[in-house]
Amino acid sequence: MWKEIRDREVGKVQSNYFVNRIASDRISKIELSNNKDIVSPHKGAVNSLQVDLTEGRYLLSGASDASVAVYDVQRATDYEAGGLIAKHKSIFVVDKQHEHGHKYAITSAIWYPIDTGLFITGSYDHHINVWDTNTTQVIMNFKMPGKVYRTAMSTSATSHMLIAAGTEDVQVRLCDITSGAFVHTLSGHRDGVMTVEWSTSSEWVLVTGGCDGAIRFWDIRRAGCFLLLDQSQSQLGRRPPILKRSMATKDSTSKPYTKQRAAQRKLANGNGTKQSPIGKVPAKGSARQRLHPGMLSSHDRATAHYGAVTGLKITEDGMYLLSAGSDSRLRLWDVESGCNTLVNFETVRLQTSKPIQLATTQDSALAFVPCMRTVKAFDMWTGNTSVTFRGHYDCVNCCCFSLQDQELYTGGNDRQILVWSPSKLIPDEMNERPAEDQDNWSD
Amino acid sequence: MSIWNYVVTAHKPTNVTHSCVGNFTSPQELNLIIAKCTRIEIHLLTPQGLQPMLDVPIYGRIATLELFRPHGEAQDFLFIATERYKFCVLQWDPESSELITRAMGDVSDRIGRPTDNGQIGIIDPDCRLIGLHLYDGLFKVIPFDNRGQLKEAFNIRLEELQVLDIKFLYGCSKPTIVVLYQDNKDARHVKTYEVALKDKDFVEGPWSQNNLDNGADLLIPVPPPLCGVLIIGEETIVYCSANAFKAIPIRPSITKAYGRVDADGSRYLLGDHAGLLNLLVVTHEKEKVTGLKIEPLGETSIASTISYLDNAFVYIGSSYGDSQLVKLNLQPDSKGSYVEVLERYVNLGPIVDFCVVDLERQGQGQVVTCSGAYKDGSLRIVRNGIGINEQASVELQGIKGMWSLRSSTDDPFDTFLVVSFISETRILAMNLEDELEETEIEGFCPQVQTLFCHDAVYNQLVQVTSSSVRLVSSTSRELRNEWHAPAGYSVNVATANATQVLLATGGGHLVYLEIGDGILTEVKHAQLEYEISCLDINPIGENPNYSHLAAVGMWTDISVRIFSLPDLNLITKEHLGGEIIPRSVLLCSFEGISYLLCALGDGHLLNFLLNTNTGEITNRKKVSLGTQPITLRTFSSKNTTHVFAASDRPTVIYSSNKKLLYSNVNLKEVSHMCPFNSAAFPDSLAIAKEGELTIGTIDDIQKLHIRSIPLGEHARRICHQEQSRTFAICSLKYNQSSSEESEMHFIRLLDDQTFEFISTYPLDTFEYGCSILSCSFSDDSNVYYCVGTAYVLPEENEPTKGRILVFIVEDGKLQLIAEKETKGAVYSLNAFNGKLLAAINQKIQLYKWMLRDDGTHELQSECGHHGHILALYVQTRGDFIVVGDLMKSISLLIYKHEEGAIEERARDYNANWMSAVEILDDDIYLGAENNFNLFTVRKNSEGATDEERGRLEVVGEYHLGEFVNRFRHGSLVMRLPDSDVGQIPTVIFGTVNGVIGVIASLPHEQYVFLEKLQSNLRKVIKGVGGLNHEQWRSFNNEKKTVDARNFLDGDLIESFLDLNRNKMDEISKVIGVSVEELCKRVEELTRLH
Repeated sequence: MWKEIRDREVGKVQSNYFVNRIASDRISKIELSNNKDIVSPHKGAVNSLQVDLTEGRYLLSGASDASVAVYDVQRATDYEAGGLIAKHKSIFVVDKQHEHGHKYAITSAIWYPIDTGLFITGSYDHHINVWDTNTTQVIMNFKMPGKVYRTAMSTSATSHMLIAAGTEDVQVRLCDITSGAFVHTLSGHRDGVMTVEWSTSSEWVLVTGGCDGAIRFWDIRRAGCFLLLDQSQSQLGRRPPILKRSMATKDSTSKPYTKQRAAQRKLANGNGTKQSPIGKVPAKGSARQRLHPGMLSSHDRATAHYGAVTGLKITEDGMYLLSAGSDSRLRLWDVESGCNTLVNFETVRLQTSKPIQLATTQDSALAFVPCMRTVKAFDMWTGNTSVTFRGHYDCVNCCCFSLQDQELYTGGNDRQILVWSPSKLIPDEMNERPAEDQDNWSD
Repeated sequence: MSIWNYVVTAHKPTNVTHSCVGNFTSPQELNLIIAKCTRIEIHLLTPQGLQPMLDVPIYGRIATLELFRPHGEAQDFLFIATERYKFCVLQWDPESSELITRAMGDVSDRIGRPTDNGQIGIIDPDCRLIGLHLYDGLFKVIPFDNRGQLKEAFNIRLEELQVLDIKFLYGCSKPTIVVLYQDNKDARHVKTYEVALKDKDFVEGPWSQNNLDNGADLLIPVPPPLCGVLIIGEETIVYCSANAFKAIPIRPSITKAYGRVDADGSRYLLGDHAGLLNLLVVTHEKEKVTGLKIEPLGETSIASTISYLDNAFVYIGSSYGDSQLVKLNLQPDSKGSYVEVLERYVNLGPIVDFCVVDLERQGQGQVVTCSGAYKDGSLRIVRNGIGINEQASVELQGIKGMWSLRSSTDDPFDTFLVVSFISETRILAMNLEDELEETEIEGFCPQVQTLFCHDAVYNQLVQVTSSSVRLVSSTSRELRNEWHAPAGYSVNVATANATQVLLATGGGHLVYLEIGDGILTEVKHAQLEYEISCLDINPIGENPNYSHLAAVGMWTDISVRIFSLPDLNLITKEHLGGEIIPRSVLLCSFEGISYLLCALGDGHLLNFLLNTNTGEITNRKKVSLGTQPITLRTFSSKNTTHVFAASDRPTVIYSSNKKLLYSNVNLKEVSHMCPFNSAAFPDSLAIAKEGELTIGTIDDIQKLHIRSIPLGEHARRICHQEQSRTFAICSLKYNQSSSEESEMHFIRLLDDQTFEFISTYPLDTFEYGCSILSCSFSDDSNVYYCVGTAYVLPEENEPTKGRILVFIVEDGKLQLIAEKETKGAVYSLNAFNGKLLAAINQKIQLYKWMLRDDGTHELQSECGHHGHILALYVQTRGDFIVVGDLMKSISLLIYKHEEGAIEERARDYNANWMSAVEILDDDIYLGAENNFNLFTVRKNSEGATDEERGRLEVVGEYHLGEFVNRFRHGSLVMRLPDSDVGQIPTVIFGTVNGVIGVIASLPHEQYVFLEKLQSNLRKVIKGVGGLNHEQWRSFNNEKKTVDARNFLDGDLIESFLDLNRNKMDEISKVIGVSVEELCKRVEELTRLH
């Protein structure tokens, strides 16, 4: 950091380079925090974690005991060990005792993306509740056809306020907060939908991962899904293969492939034009629809994973999609072409029965993945394990990365929420004060 | 201060980021176009040098600047892209001499991550497309159609994420780019791609080259007939094309900029990080490259851009030093350099630190900046005032008066300069070699002091001495007539114009003479009750040779009187009050308004409105210009009359929009001044000061004056100590003599008048000076310099050790009194309640100054506060501490005396990456952050809940477009007690681009008024290239973009004064305030800087 600060002063480094360098430097030093504890009030497995998007200040957790809690991660409630360990107790907890509380496990707890005035919970009791944060009252309730696995709201939406919900049911439902009604059901999956994720580049694009192993892309303004990821359709590297210098000299074996690629390319083009803020999506959607009249097209059988898709995460730049499956595989997809990039993530064991919540860093260099009792940070482009975070005593369900503080929060079946933060530069004060017994969990 | 702030630029950006050469303003004219981050300047190449044609602000930070010529056009167009993803194509309109926008648009994308290595914008040499690399992994293409119009843009995926450079290749049938990139094993390669416009994709290019020099950073495409590309590394230079590969080793250097010399691309100028200019020659046989040769040429400023102009003239644009116009000579000079610097263009950037001082103790702030970097580091003394450009000077002691005379009445130029001494009068004249030479006017009396001289009608000259008035022919130079003072009386003061002479002798006798052809007539005589101290009959009426009024200053009753001429009747008598006699009076007229100026012996100046018909004087105003007696003289510059007030603090009095304004002249002490408009030195002034006579021209009125003190090393922190009259700086010197580059760090003490190093304290190896402060401690009357340092060990990413050093200045030497080791870099030091507050890495630490038993002092830590990522910037006020964190915005701490502890009181929870903070008042704090924004936060002490009280509420947001390194309270202008703006508190800021700006807190009523004016100006003044002002000033970072609030753009508001009358009327009508009133109010604001 020292050098960057000095170079910044004379204008030698670009401002975003400065931020990225320092952030990635800090991320590389993430370890179990020895100065920050979140005191979990949950009596069941922590299933969902999210830091609010406006200030990066309030952490929302949802747990299997049907409780949901909010913590201030910026300001400690009290300190221990002479002010060196900051304790963050929950600001409030809503549990079964609450008159409108969920009856069964909460699988998903998310903030309303615009401010912290609302949050949304989804539960195995078939309900999605919309809560007023200040009064902790339910202001809206959606009855779903089955257990709710995952809810999501678009962070880039300016013209809609839709909650996308993945449930036991094969249909993905869009619940509208403004009207309190279902506005849309998206049909295509053949089994329950464990994970839903909005695109970060277009407010209309939703990605869903089902227990049928399929990952589907939807443009919610149109009927039907416009893209179905196929694990066998792949590209090596970060970009679909470029056009060969002379098309004519192509040998016959590669021809079908090239054709297919060309078709793909057409869909992919025209992206990011200045006139249409949502890019190429409409064109792509309509083209894809023409490809499959009805649900019986062979294209519609493609799978992204063998078994269920348990986790999805679109990178911050909107260009790639990371998926986790009950086949214990992680796959990285090029969103534009829909190709599997064939990044070979080191073999791990993933939870199979339950959706898992993945996280990525701002620069998409690392992906944080719950792997049974550990959380692994994978290098996104090589698939190598960069760090393994050990600290939970039982399976980890969710990871949440605070881009603002470069802190990772993880929740697991051991009912704990752990904070992983960049190590303090200097173990300061340690030798100026009488040594205190430091318990930092890392065993 | 308040939350309603007005931001204005006092010194425009000077950091040259881009430059290009082409035929922009006409097919025959060659132009140099320079980008200074948020401004562009268009210059015309003339045989006399660079002639400025246009200097306009751009509503954006310029990321790329390129000239190109679409098919079928006779001259070039200018392509500009800004960092906030706007682009425009500009064309010169020769009729209005303005820029017209040919095309504009937005090239931002929702996908992709902004590039780390800077945006790249390139134009195909055959003008088929514009290529932009703005986001990692994406290459944006804006194609041209056949008519040269831009078509819809599209993205092509780029596999290489760490792109270092992209250029178009010349001479390719399809547009082809060459990409220099780094892979994830940090090896560097180049690759080529053809852009298939129809398929909107890349086609594999003709060649590629792997594993280049690890420092390869720059591509230079070579034009036909050679084609191919040069890859500039740190140790090698490689020429690459489809069928050739040539490499040469070079002395290790980092090439920062290049300029093409020949159109055929056989020679290039390369400028490196040390400011050395090299010539790279591509040797070739016909179209085949046979080798490369590199030759050092000499030293320039560290170049950020090089433009070869013509005939061996080269423009060197610099970010770290002054930009230069250099000539490359065929023969080396005595030092072996081929480079001759012809002109330097001042660049204050990067202003890393500065302090506001009042060295002359005149109530006017001066800014002393740490400017430049590396070898081009310097201190710059910036003050508001008018500069004199000295053209000639002679040593002459004891000048008592000066007048210029013409050799005939209708001669447009002055020939003689009469210089009067205590017992003689000398006459200087321009000789044929344009040198001042002593000469004689036979009719003048040279053995006595001259009291006054003037040109008179009928080719005559008048000389007044203590005994007589002599009328001399200017052609024959012989005495034509003489008027003798009565016996026993001597003339004390005298004045004259072309037809009149007024003089006063001892005993209060006032004598009025008129000048005829060869004759002096005593017309009137009057006896006044007291002695006369000064006189003036400067004609301000319709007749330029004759005045109806005479102004007379008196001893004893301290009055100024107006007499009518020729009858010497007293019209008005104004008692001045006080005990200081008037020393100089002047009748003058500015912009059609007549004034009587009256200067007193103590440096005060009174001005009155004068009614020329009745002789009445009204509207008395008093200002202080200096401390010594003032002599008033009129002069004209650029066809406008101004008044020069010579004193210990020389001042120019001028009028703008019918208001008198005062601007000091950057000269120490001037005893006399007279205009001297000779053929050799047109529009010049002769100035008598400190034993010398200087002839010089005067700068434009109201302009910052900058003095440079080159250091040859990089000053990073500066601090002034009033008591010892010294500056102390933290500086570092780069040693490049050995193969290993090393840095040496010093604390240096400078005299605050001469700016010479008077003492140096070298820091340890690896020890850097990070902060400096002059302060005193409780129970100790001494004033100390405190220096915070850091040990930057090569193996450590972050310093874990530093020191606080306490020095005292004794006999001009720095004496180390105490030192304290710290556990990190001391980023900031502040005086705090008689103690020392240090920011050390993530911690704020308070130290007490303790007396030890042996009588020495030591720093003892008292308490601290942690919880910051890096506490980089700290300001204090009372018990409050405001911390600007590396990435966590502003937090407010309070020191609790009873508990002896520092606690957090409130915080701004936004994720701002700070670059500077300042406390505006008890409740409002100002911050500057990494994305070039300013914001203010307010303490909410009355909040209902803990949560509300613990939150600093954001009350103002603004996009400055400049990276601020430092805020300081202070002002660049003298606060005149009679002006309204004298009461407005201001903060000065300094930026990387060399901008010095002023933030002024306005009363709410004025803010609302100006906000209305600003929104109307937005409609009338259109941004260059169609860029939108409102968007430009909107607060913008990775997370959000919101409209600016509670900040006003002073640069836009003050451009109201440059509008033509129609547009002013238009705005005046909408706002419902008269143009005069608008002008007056805006005019007042311009006096803030």
